[in-house]
Amino acid sequence: MLFKLLIFPGFLFLLLCAFVFDWVDRRMLARFQGRVGPPWYQPVADFIKLPTKEDTLPQGVNATVAAALPMLALAAVLTASVYVPVAGVVSASFEGDLIVVLFLLSLPALTYFLAGWISVGVYSILGGHRSLLQYFSYEVPFLMAVAGPAVLSGSWSIASIVAYQAQTTWGAVMQPLGFVLAVVGLIGKLKRDPLDIPKAKSEVVSGSLTEFSGRKLALWRLSMNMQTVVGIFLLVNLFFGESRFFDVLPAFPVFGLKALSILLLLATASAIYARLRIDQLADLGWRILAPLALLQILANVGIGG
Amino acid sequence: MNRLLRQLHLFEEIFSAFQAAFPDDPLTVQAMPIDETFVTLAPEHIHEACEILVERFDFYHLSTITGLDTGAAVELFYHFWNAYGITLRTALPYTALRIATLTDFIPGAAFYERELYTMLGVVFEGHVNLQPLLQPDDWDGSHPLRKT
Amino acid sequence: MTKIIVPIGPQHPLLKEPVSFQLTVEGEHVTESAMRLGYVHRGIERLCQERTYVQNIHLLERICGICSHVHTTTFCQGVEALLGVKLPSRALYLRALLCELERIHSHLLWLGVLALNIGFDTIFMYAWHDREVVLDIMEDLSGGRVSHAVNIVGGVRFDLTDDRRVTLLRQLNGLEEQVRILLGVVEHEQTLQARTRNVGRLSLEQIRRYCVVGPVARASGLDVDLRRDMPRPPYDGLTFQVPVRQEGDVWARTLVRMLETVESVHLCRQMLDLLPPGPVSTRVSRRVPAGEVVSRTEAPRGEVVYYIRSDGSDKPARVKVRTPTLTNLITLPSQLENVNMADVSVVLSGVDLCIACADR
Repeated sequence: MLFKLLIFPGFLFLLLCAFVFDWVDRRMLARFQGRVGPPWYQPVADFIKLPTKEDTLPQGVNATVAAALPMLALAAVLTASVYVPVAGVVSASFEGDLIVVLFLLSLPALTYFLAGWISVGVYSILGGHRSLLQYFSYEVPFLMAVAGPAVLSGSWSIASIVAYQAQTTWGAVMQPLGFVLAVVGLIGKLKRDPLDIPKAKSEVVSGSLTEFSGRKLALWRLSMNMQTVVGIFLLVNLFFGESRFFDVLPAFPVFGLKALSILLLLATASAIYARLRIDQLADLGWRILAPLALLQILANVGIGG
Repeated sequence: MNRLLRQLHLFEEIFSAFQAAFPDDPLTVQAMPIDETFVTLAPEHIHEACEILVERFDFYHLSTITGLDTGAAVELFYHFWNAYGITLRTALPYTALRIATLTDFIPGAAFYERELYTMLGVVFEGHVNLQPLLQPDDWDGSHPLRKT
Repeated sequence: MTKIIVPIGPQHPLLKEPVSFQLTVEGEHVTESAMRLGYVHRGIERLCQERTYVQNIHLLERICGICSHVHTTTFCQGVEALLGVKLPSRALYLRALLCELERIHSHLLWLGVLALNIGFDTIFMYAWHDREVVLDIMEDLSGGRVSHAVNIVGGVRFDLTDDRRVTLLRQLNGLEEQVRILLGVVEHEQTLQARTRNVGRLSLEQIRRYCVVGPVARASGLDVDLRRDMPRPPYDGLTFQVPVRQEGDVWARTLVRMLETVESVHLCRQMLDLLPPGPVSTRVSRRVPAGEVVSRTEAPRGEVVYYIRSDGSDKPARVKVRTPTLTNLITLPSQLENVNMADVSVVLSGVDLCIACADR
């Protein structure tokens, strides 16, 4: 149990994945843009460098809260990772763990908003407000899209959803619309290009995190990177679970390949779109994504029932 | 050649319009290189002359206003353009560095007038926001382009 | 709703040069804006009066870091008119060739900055990659990537061999292909249009009253281009289109600039084909006869105006520089009225700010 929590598929493995995914992501984006991209040790170097920098906070900011927020975000992501299987290996599981994971994965958005709220800088406040607005736009379609596989398999346990796909076929094949919506929702959740509205450099400098530096910033970045990993793993489980075709191959490399394919999708989206405006995202979320997600759920009820 | 003829014709009309509007002003006209014509006017006629140029002859584009301290007076040049350049020039004595603003019908003149106000100390009467344009906050009020 | 004041500048990731905007923001809505200039005021007009004409060329080249060549061209054109010299036509062609290359360079750089500001990093990388080709060409021709120092009163200081002309034509063909790809992106990409359409709109009436120049004016339907409207050699012997759009928003400005870039590539090719033989400069006196001149040229951002007054010595009595950015800046308060906070970056990019130009 301790091995599972700390080493695989727990903290150490997640840390490694966070660095690897960060590097692969930056590298792919660079190739899309005709650049070379950073060497493999760049994310590690960044992570080591940041804590050595001076840790400053503006006057009037509650230092305890400022220090607690990134830790809270990291803790939420790590707890969520406990329930997300990696290639069939999972630390803990019970009926209804999908709901817990979804709840834990939305906590970082709250801490991000609070980070803006407690900062005194105008850019942080604007960024915090934007992150909350963005949360309301992407979260509903995301939740509905992720609920799709649960409705289809008749269970709220990730392990059962994976098992259900082994009997039928990949979730992405049965509900392609739901998969696309889940990817869009994940982009919004991770505040990645083109939905990096709360931290848009040319508008609000760095959003909520403008006033953070040193160790705290390193923790923020780590929690963001881990969130990417956990989010991608979750989608792999829900939409590319075990299937009869791949059973002959070893599970772990196949799982890694699936995860990297989703990362490729995210990098592609970063490369080919311009950033949306917050009102455009709200429009997109409520006028297009939410009705489509509802449609997918209804279809799933039809198929599943 | 056609262009030159058109220019001559147009400018003759402009001068007769000026002469009709300001009969007591000894207008002087100078042809300058690169399609430019200079017309010298008294300072009190500048505003009306600009209005005639803009409204009647469609010289809508005020390129800029140049200010220049000759050592004897402060000269102002209003450079207009519409296919040909025409410059209205006037001289303000040091004792009366005031002239009517153009911003009431050319809002684009606002920055030029603010710059001249700080660089040479010419006051543009009627300008709604005659603040320093390029000078720092602790500007001491001296005029960098003045000779005296 | 509470109002907060958001400072953009003098240091902000959006700005490449120091200028300051104080935006009053309600929620995500900008209700008021105030601008502060002068952070890079170097007093160049005053410095010009204390230097000789030869020294001034190098000083004026440093007004702008992007369109440096067009400033010296305008200055030399004015001084040559005062001197009454007629330039060899090869010199005029080479001067204009560099002007057009500079226009391509400036517009590509601008597209990159716009793309960066709307979070479209891929286009930023591509545009700046293509701009690198132009910089390489300019370095080959003049020895400098940004400051060329090729203009002298009486001509230019570089020449083009026939081999070099052939390779240059080939480089230009490759460049045109790249620019057409970028043009296609501007015309068809959905998210770029979502961010730039109907943003920072200026009517033709506003353009005329604010005396706006260059691509910003042409994007609002004002059909003006000094290369065509005040034809001087070599432009009077070349054929080119002046792209004009009626929409008046940032998207139209983007499109106008990209179409202009394609036209500039065509112009470069024509000039290379028609390049007349002969000397590239002529000897002139260092003392300039007394007189006054107004010299205008079409820079990448619009009309540049120089007023030069000579008192017969080897130093000018007055050099007045009016850069296109200064006139275009004046439209910003009306463009920033009632926009979304996220559109501020688009509006500011749209006018192509060159603060060093505006401040001099």
